[in-house]
Formats: sequence, structure tokens, C-alpha cells
Amino acid sequence: MTIIVTVIGIIAFAIAGPIIGCLLAGLDRIISARMQGRVGPPLLQPYYDVRKLFSKENASVNTSEHAYILFAFIFTLVAGGVFFSGGNLLLSVFLVTLSSLLFIVAAYSSRSPYSEVGAARETLQAMAYEPMLYLMCVAFFMASGWFDVAGVFFLDAPAITTAWLAFLGFLFVLTIKLRKSPFDISMSHHAHQEIVRGVTTEMSGPTLGLVEVMHWCENVLFMGWVAMFFIWSNPLSIVLAVVVVLAVYFLEIWIDNNFARVKWQLMLKSAWAVALVAGGLNVAVLAYL
Amino acid sequence: MELVASLIVVPVVAALLLLAIKNDRARDVIAIAFAALIALLSIAFAVVFAGPGTYEFALPAEWGHPLSLVNLAIDLTVAIFVVCYAVRYKRPLALGLAALQIVVALWFEFAVQAGAEFSTTMRVDALGVVMVLIIGIVGSGICVYALGYMKDFQAHELHGNPQARDRRPWFFAIMFAFLSAMFNIVLVDNMAWMYTAWEVTTLCSFLLIGFTKSEEAINNAFRQIVMNLLGGVAFQFSLVYLGVFGLPLSFSTFVEIGSAFPALVMLPVTLLAFAGITKAAQMPFHTWLLGAMVAPTPTSALLHSSTMVKAGVFLLVKLSPIFAVSLVPSVMVVLVGGLTFALCSFMAISQSNAKRVLAYSTIANLGLITACAGVGTPEAVWAAILLIIFHAVAKSLLFLCVGTAEHHIGSRNIEDMDLLFERMPRLARFMMLGIMCMFVAPFGMLIAKWATLVSFVETGNVALIILLAFGSAATFMFWAKWLGKLSGIAGEPQNVELTVHKSEWAALLLMAGLVCVTCVLLPVMSSGLVVPYVQTAFRYGGQDISDGNLWIAAICAVLVILMLFAGLGRSSKQKRVDVYLAGASADNAARTFRGSLSAPVEATSRNLYLDGIFGEARIAPVGSGVCIVIMVAAIAWAAAVLPSML
Amino acid sequence: MAYNSKSPWVIHYDASSCNGCDIEVLAALCPGFDVERFGIINTGNPKHADIFLVTGSVNEQNIKVVQEIYDQMLEPKAVVACGICACSGGVFHDCYNVLGGVDKAIPVDVYVPGCAVRPEAIIDGVVQAIGILDEKAKAMAQQKKGA
Repeated sequence: MTIIVTVIGIIAFAIAGPIIGCLLAGLDRIISARMQGRVGPPLLQPYYDVRKLFSKENASVNTSEHAYILFAFIFTLVAGGVFFSGGNLLLSVFLVTLSSLLFIVAAYSSRSPYSEVGAARETLQAMAYEPMLYLMCVAFFMASGWFDVAGVFFLDAPAITTAWLAFLGFLFVLTIKLRKSPFDISMSHHAHQEIVRGVTTEMSGPTLGLVEVMHWCENVLFMGWVAMFFIWSNPLSIVLAVVVVLAVYFLEIWIDNNFARVKWQLMLKSAWAVALVAGGLNVAVLAYL
Repeated sequence: MELVASLIVVPVVAALLLLAIKNDRARDVIAIAFAALIALLSIAFAVVFAGPGTYEFALPAEWGHPLSLVNLAIDLTVAIFVVCYAVRYKRPLALGLAALQIVVALWFEFAVQAGAEFSTTMRVDALGVVMVLIIGIVGSGICVYALGYMKDFQAHELHGNPQARDRRPWFFAIMFAFLSAMFNIVLVDNMAWMYTAWEVTTLCSFLLIGFTKSEEAINNAFRQIVMNLLGGVAFQFSLVYLGVFGLPLSFSTFVEIGSAFPALVMLPVTLLAFAGITKAAQMPFHTWLLGAMVAPTPTSALLHSSTMVKAGVFLLVKLSPIFAVSLVPSVMVVLVGGLTFALCSFMAISQSNAKRVLAYSTIANLGLITACAGVGTPEAVWAAILLIIFHAVAKSLLFLCVGTAEHHIGSRNIEDMDLLFERMPRLARFMMLGIMCMFVAPFGMLIAKWATLVSFVETGNVALIILLAFGSAATFMFWAKWLGKLSGIAGEPQNVELTVHKSEWAALLLMAGLVCVTCVLLPVMSSGLVVPYVQTAFRYGGQDISDGNLWIAAICAVLVILMLFAGLGRSSKQKRVDVYLAGASADNAARTFRGSLSAPVEATSRNLYLDGIFGEARIAPVGSGVCIVIMVAAIAWAAAVLPSML
Repeated sequence: MAYNSKSPWVIHYDASSCNGCDIEVLAALCPGFDVERFGIINTGNPKHADIFLVTGSVNEQNIKVVQEIYDQMLEPKAVVACGICACSGGVFHDCYNVLGGVDKAIPVDVYVPGCAVRPEAIIDGVVQAIGILDEKAKAMAQQKKGA
């Protein structure tokens, strides 16, 4: 039964995820441009980019890179499917981790110095955000009583009422997960980075297109994690959740445009400190009070 | 009964035969035949005894007395062995501990236990079946692997010193004797007997670690024996306690009494837990397992995956129903296990020696198992048993891979494993499979960790949740960067794996197959082996992850395995291009670029080791100190309430 | 197949320019001209780029670099020589080490003169390059169908 529901969820997410993610990415670029006093590209620009990438020559530095990316993409879809079909939150977090691992290994496999440095930094980023993610899941469970996301529709009050501290901590690491400045150390969306494009330096054409689509889907999934904190048995709460998601997304863009990149030391220490304080405190309060 | 007896006797026969045989060919045949026999016996054993409920067997009562004498004799032989070695190498601490054990053993046998009946009961439950399968299949697989490995090892020895004696008969004899001792530990109910087997494993690993007889090996072997003798003494004291208070020496009865009247057995439980912690190499005793790395790789594989350390956690898991109701030992085990997990995962980041990384990861995972056992709920025990299973198969695969790689690339440094994917394509894939099984969904270890997290959350154990969250993040870091090193592909592949021994391939294939099968059939394994044990031990079953989710994970595991063995490295229609070297490449395949004055410079990159944050020198003293304080406090507490019992 | 023209990603390489043209190239990205309106992005990575924008003349040292960057770009691709030095060597054409314009190293599709080249001219040049990109993409697609 779980499997059938999940498969339906995966199919739905495979269709809706890229569409919503693409629009979100387009919105991101327009808003960023406006913040910089520019007009910015059309809303569908990310779509054009990806269509172009898929039409380019198919080339790769080795025989494995494309396979790693393909499977990373598949596992992102599975993670999204699990989450949006109301499945287990932890399972979806673990599958996203698997997907980011394959992404990292794809970069390592190219053996390009720039990719390798990018991959090493991406590994560090994963280590930085992971504790907070786990604690966010635990806090969500303690606040709602469910690891299954579908459980939120039976709540009398949304999880945010008791897990707000962990939610704030999650927002902090979300910046790392979205690879926004000040934490875009493994790969930047902007040119002239010291490690070229970091992780994706050697990925080109269709492979890069797949990476882009994967990031759209990931972003939608992360926004889903944000939304689940604001939903309860009242159907109108979905509207609230959408509003909150948009606000959070705007906040991330604002942070991206207003902060200079930090060194990894600061990223690791601050993310772990946030996890310990926000996550740990919230979990402790929920466990003992 | 015949099955149980043959499991114990067959390895002993193998050990004796191998000790006598000097010929390579004959040794190969006999070792492989016996390994296969042991594996088949353990599978037959599993087929017969799997499922809920326990089975008890006993020999006729008149066997009791002679067996008790045999037991004492083995016990004393072990101690005297240690005494001899300690005298020869002038190690007063080991000498003292061994002498203490002899005195206590004699006093216990002839004063405390005089006239008491020696029970010959064997008790088989689902956990026993799991352990027998691990020891029988993984353990004997490692013995087969050792055949090829030790040939290379001997050749290397002879290269260095043409007069070097061939000590392989001795090596293989100990390996098989080890298996027999392990079967004893997991199957007997009589604690005095279990103690003897416990000491035999200590001695066997002492001999295996010191096998090369280099100064470092001897030092590390003595560190191991001192730490484990400490545990042995604690084990012995708890036996004495039971004897003095007239409690039966039956383990099952002990657990029953313990869960009903925790205060009555608080001290022996704490002491037994301490013994388990020493054997499971928890901080501050983790140094013996790190030191064990000087031994030939099959030894490390055996110690880490299927024997020795698993004896420690087996004991703790068995005791977990008592931990569930007894606060002091539970807190001690939980904290030591949790701290060890987090801190050893941190320290693994700073290591570049593959075997040390594996050692730290072993210690960390044992810490997690220990913590689960300490929590003592059915769900936590479910997770602990799964951790034991997956750790055994994945870690043995990894050790064997590292051993083979070491002999073919001449290094066990992870930085030198660059390009292994091309130089040893099959081996690298096995290694990647093993690594992924250790830390990432949808493979077994992570599923078990998931269950661990849920059980910690359910018991509201905040400290453990936080330790697990941070420890897991560190785990990701050190495995991912190793995986990355392995995966690199560039230039002309020069395949160096053609000279790997057939027996090594056989063992590697077996382990890789086990990893795949256990990961994919996890749901079946859970309902067939693990849940029945939990039900028997706790009277109600517990499984924190629904079967549906387990099956989703299993399907994903199939996908990843497909990717590794069918998806990677296939030639496709894609155009091959060079990597980007800022447009200045001199020889792209060799990663050289034109540097200043147009001289070719090689682009190199090392992994991050973050020594300033996660270095051993920073973390180990803190962890060891805290763990010592915790253990001393717990034992003192348990001893302090003793007078009120009298 | 029209997507090439909607998302032309650029890599900018300074061969041996006096930096005058480089500043103008970057000016085109700034709010005043904002070429991102047309989907143009400066990638800094030949593997991601469609249009190779070179400023400055080619000399003995950098000819290999220009060629390698061009080789690492994936089809379809176009080259824009920005500024008179990139077109012909400009005032440096008879320097001892200068080989001449970019076309001494790689095939150039669009020549954009100027010293320094004005942003409007750069944008015009890129727009022409986009047309060439589209043609190349069409040819590629037909070849694919034929094969």
C-alpha cells in the first residue's frame, strides 16, 4: 500500500516538481535582478536554459559522471515522491542525502581540480547542515507526533507553534542547502568564482541540464519541508503555508543578495552552533516540558 | 544438539589440522573445506532454529563435573599463557591481571562454587541464530580470504628476511579457534563457560595482533590484553557476586532476575556492561582496536566484523532487558556508547590511513550499538541487532578490499587510492558498495541508524539524539570523501587487479553478495530473525520503521546496486572531453598545466582532514576522560548500594 | 530549436587586452545595459558557454589557451572578437610577440571593432552571434536526423 501511494507520489512530483521549481527559479532571477537595479530575464528563462542545455552536444569527461547524475536525479524524485505522498519525513531526508552524495561523487569522478575542490566543499556543506536537518525532523515529530508527513492534516495546531526554534534553525541551514550566498562555497550561480563553477565545472550539456532540473526539484522539496510546519487540520492552512513558503523564498533571495561569501570554517561552526542551540534546545524543551 | 555441538567442535578440529599442516596446497584445501562446512552448518542451524522462541539443550548430568574441570583447565591455560608472555616481554600490568584472574578462578571454583552443579545448557534464540550466521559465514569467509592474503604476506616477509619462518599454520589455527570460541559465547547459557570462551577470544586476538612480532605489534598486543583482561576481571567479579549470593550462573535466569529485581543485580550488571564495553572497544578502550591495525588485514577484518568486538556488543544486547529497568548501568552504557559514536566519527575525519578510518568507524558504530542496547527498549534492540548484522557484512567487505588494495597498490593511505576505480575496477566497486552500505540510505546501516534515531526520540533521550545527529554528519563527511577518492577516472587505465588471488575474489564476492542480499532482503530479515528475538526477549515486538518504508528502501538499494555494477563505466555514445585546466593544460590526462615560465606543473588535490578541529590530539583525551569518569561513577554507585543489600 | 537564441551563455577571455574592452564587456552586464534581460550570462567556464567572447590580440603565450578554451566548448558555439585588437591586433599588430587577431588561433564568427568597444556594439555582436548559433544548431539537428 505504502509503495503504491509512494509511486503515485513520485510520478506526480516528477511532473509538478520541475514545473514549480522552474517557476521558482525564474522568480529568483527576476527578484535578484530587481534587487540589483536591473530588469532581469523573463520568468521562463530557466526553462529556456535547460532546453538549450539538452539540445547541446552530449559530452562528458568520463564514463560514469552521467550515470551518477541520473541516479542522483532519480533519488531526488523518489525523495520528493515520498514526502509529497505524505510518507516518512526522515526517509525523504535520507534520500536527499543519497542524492547529494551521488552529486558529490559525480564531481569527484571527473578528477578535475576545480570539481574536486568543489566536491570537497560540498561534502563540508553537507556535514554542516546535516545535524540541523535531523534535529528539525525530530522536533517536527515531537511537535506533531508524526514522522509521516500526512499526519499534519490531523493536527489541532501547526507544528510551528512548538517547534519554532527548530524551524528557525532549519531556515539557517536552508541557505546552505539552496547554495545561496553567504554559503555558496561549493558552487556559485555567479561567474568568476575562484573554483570556476565548483561541483558542476565538468558537467556540460544534457548532464548540466539534468543537474538544473534536479536542483529545481530539490528546491520544491525543501519548500515542502518549510510548508509542513504551517499546516494543520484546517484546509485554509494550506494557503497560509504557501504564503509562508513564498516569504521564506523571498528571504533567501534577500540574504543571497546582501551577504558576502564566508569561509568554510565560519559556515561549519555557525551551522553546528545553530543546530546545537536551536535544534538541541527545542528538542530538549519538547522532550522534558 | 548435534548441530550446536558440531558448530563448536568443527572449528577446533580445523584449527588442530591446520596447525599440523605445513604444505600450501593442503592448507588451501582443508581451510576452504572447513570454512564451507562451518558456513553450511551455520545455515542449517539457522534454518532449524530461526523464528520465535528459545530452544534449550543440555548434556546428561554426569557430564557436568568433567566439563567443569575442562572449563577450569582452559581458563587456567589461557591465564598461564598470558603470564608466560608477560614474563617474557616484561609486562608487569598484564602479569598482575592474569595472576589475579588465576587466583580468583581457583578460589571461585574450589571455595565459592564447590559442589555446585555445572550446567551444560545451551540456549538458542533468534539473536543466537543471527550471531551464528555472522560468525559462520562472514568469519569463515575471512578465513578463506586469508589464504591468498597470507601467501602475499609470506612472500613479503621472505623478501625482507629470507630466513623468516613460515608461521602461517599457527595463524590459521588461531583464526579457526577464534570462531569456535565465538560460537561458545553466543550459544552457552552457563556464565562460567561463557567467561572462559570470552577469555579465549581475548587470548586469540592477542596472539593475532602480535603475530608479526615487531615491537609495535607486541606493544599493541599487550595494550589489547591489558584492557581486555580488565574487562575479564570485571566479568569474573560478577560471577563471584552471583556465586556468593547463591544466584544461579545461568545467563537466562540472570536476565530474568535482573529485569524483575534490578537492584539485586545492579553491581554484576554494571560489571558485565563494563566487560562488554572493554571488548567493544568503547572509549577510553578504543586504543586497543586502533592498535590492532598492525596485524595482517584478515585479522583486522575478523576482529572488527564478526568476532571479538561483536562479542562485547552481543553481551550488552543480551543484557538490554535489564538496562531497560536499571538506571545506573543503563546511563553508563548509553552515555559511553553515544559519546564514543560521536567523538570517534569526528576523529575518523582527521585520518588518511584507510585502516584507521575503518577502525574509527567500527568503534563509532559499536558505540551506537552499545547506546541502543543501553536504551533497552524493544525498538532500540531491533536497531542494535540490525546494526550488528550490517556492520559485520559491510565492514568485512571493506577490510578485505583494503587488504587487497594494499597488496596491489602498495599503500593503505586513502590519498593513494586515487584512480582505484580504473586501476582495480571490480575491487573499487566492491569498496564503494561497502562504503555506501556503511552510511547512506537506502542501505542497511542507515536504516538501522534511522530506527536508532526513532527509538531515541521515543524514549526522549535528548543527549543521544544530539550525539547521533552530529555523529552522523561527521560520518557522512569521512565516508563521502573516501568514496570520492575512489571514484576518480582519468587517463589510461592500467589494470593491476589481474593478479589478485582467486580465494580473495571468492571471499570478496561472498561479502559483496551478502551486503546486497542483506540490504535488499532487509524487511524479510527483520520479520524472520530480528523481530522474533525482540518478541522473545521483551514479550512484545518492536519495529520502528514500517514494512512499507523498508520495502521502499529495499527497492532503492536495488537501484543503487544496479548503478554501481551496471550503470558506471559503460562506454556510451557520449563524446569524451578533457577536464578544464583554465585553458593551460600541458598534459591533460596527467593533470599537468603550464605554470609560470611555461614549466609543466601537476595539479594535485588532497582531501580535507580538518585536523585543527577534529584531530585525535584534541578529541581523544576529552572523550576518554569523560568516559572514564562516567564508568568509575557508575561502578562506584553500584558498589555503594551493595551494603544496603546485605 | 530556438532555445539557443534564448539562452546564450558567454565565456569572456582576455587574451592580451589593455583592459579597456574588458571593462566595457562587464559594463554590458551591469544595470545600465543588463544583458541578462536576454538570458545572457557570463559563465567563466568553456564547458557551459555557447559564445566565446575574446578581447585583445593573440600572442605566442596565449594562443594555446585560446585554442584550448575554444576546443572545450560544446557545439553549437560561436566566437565574437571584441575590440580592434581582437579583430586584427590593432595598434599592437606589429609587436614582436603579437601574432594578430583572434582569427589567427580559431575561427571567428563576428568581428566587433572599437577601441574601446562600446557596450552597444558588444550587444549587437552577441545578437549576431546568436543568429549564427541558431543556424549551427539547425545544422546539427539536421545532421542528427540524417544520421
